Amino acid sequence: MTYRKIVGPIPEEKREKISVKLVDIILKSKNDDKMPSSLAKEILHYWHQGPLLDEDSLGPLLEAAVLLEPDKTTDLLEQELQLVDLAKAVKQISVER
Amino acid sequence: MLKFGIEFVPREAYWKTIYYTIQAEKRGFDHLWITDHFNNRNVYVTLTAAAVYTEKMKLGPGVTNPYLINPVMTAQAVASLDEMAPGRVVLGIGAGDKTTLDCAGVEMKKPLTAVKETIEIVRRMMEAKSVTYEGKVFQAKGAQFLFKPRGKIPVYVGAQGPKMLEMAGKTGEGVLINACHPKDVGYAVAQARKGIEEAGKKLSDVDIAAYTSFSVHEDLEKANKAAIPVVAYIVAGSPNIILERHGIDLKKAEEIREALKAAKWAEAFGAVSLEMIKAFSVCGTPNMCVDRINLLLKSGISQFVVGSPIGSNVRKSIDLISDKVIPHFRK
Repeated sequence: MTYRKIVGPIPEEKREKISVKLVDIILKSKNDDKMPSSLAKEILHYWHQGPLLDEDSLGPLLEAAVLLEPDKTTDLLEQELQLVDLAKAVKQISVER
Repeated sequence: MLKFGIEFVPREAYWKTIYYTIQAEKRGFDHLWITDHFNNRNVYVTLTAAAVYTEKMKLGPGVTNPYLINPVMTAQAVASLDEMAPGRVVLGIGAGDKTTLDCAGVEMKKPLTAVKETIEIVRRMMEAKSVTYEGKVFQAKGAQFLFKPRGKIPVYVGAQGPKMLEMAGKTGEGVLINACHPKDVGYAVAQARKGIEEAGKKLSDVDIAAYTSFSVHEDLEKANKAAIPVVAYIVAGSPNIILERHGIDLKKAEEIREALKAAKWAEAFGAVSLEMIKAFSVCGTPNMCVDRINLLLKSGISQFVVGSPIGSNVRKSIDLISDKVIPHFRK
């Protein structure tokens, strides 16, 4: 499983909200050192190209949020956005890795 | 039309600064200014990344100084950057920040002369000629690039004092006025105009920017709260003549200075008053910021720079400025 695959089923209407919330999580995080350089460049590349709404850009964004702030990201998905299946898939990836 | 610039202090990871930079370009900002202090991320590394991820914005150090970076190295940096972002690079240069220079053990000798000489050396280097220069502060003996620079880079002079402002108007393609209150900006513009007239230039030849400490939020209290730490440092660093101009209690200012030196943040920030916030920042709801910018525009500025802290949440603040402030000046 990959982050790009698991964000695929997120409904169109929820994508902007989740994108903004994930961006805020990583921008506010103090765990900058946990951001892999390649992942940062990938996010900046897609942000430069357009909004972070499709699988290619939401995937890396979710991956970064999980790496920097795992608990906050899980809370966001489960509690605030009610994306329970996505939260489960994130946990599955974490176990696999 | 009033141009909008935005300043970032590269104290956070580079990717955060660049995220905000991309956002600022998308949301209508014209200029990017990156501060230059040795204790933050390097200004030219940050600008290089910004050049890669932007297409239209003008960008440059805001401001570098001649003491920590020799003029020939500044020339090299902006010439190299101009290859990556052709025609978009500007050079912001000023005397520097005394506190930071003191930390580095560098003396701020003859600031007016040092800045003026730096501009002369940079400009000659950009002409791709061998530069021999005998200044009072700087010398060069046959300094020349082994590559061909693209050409002239607009120079913006960061200025506060009357002589530096006059020199900025006379010499620069732009002036960066470090002030927020119409009284201070009006005074600074008048000084810069003297230099502009002396040089036989038109006022429209020079981009006069108010480089402000800015904080916006729909909730005034939150806007004020974000501005307080920056205002505390501005008050601590301001000469008494400026504090008196705004009716600020000198004893209070001294208390803030002492508390900051002792790292007593709560004490220092607690002593910041509303009148200090009004004097040393553009702060408030979007409408309040629009009103203040209008006053600055009447003082004669052609660029408004949104500087630190920008707001309690920088991402949201950039959107707020783009949605509710900039449109008032683009009608």
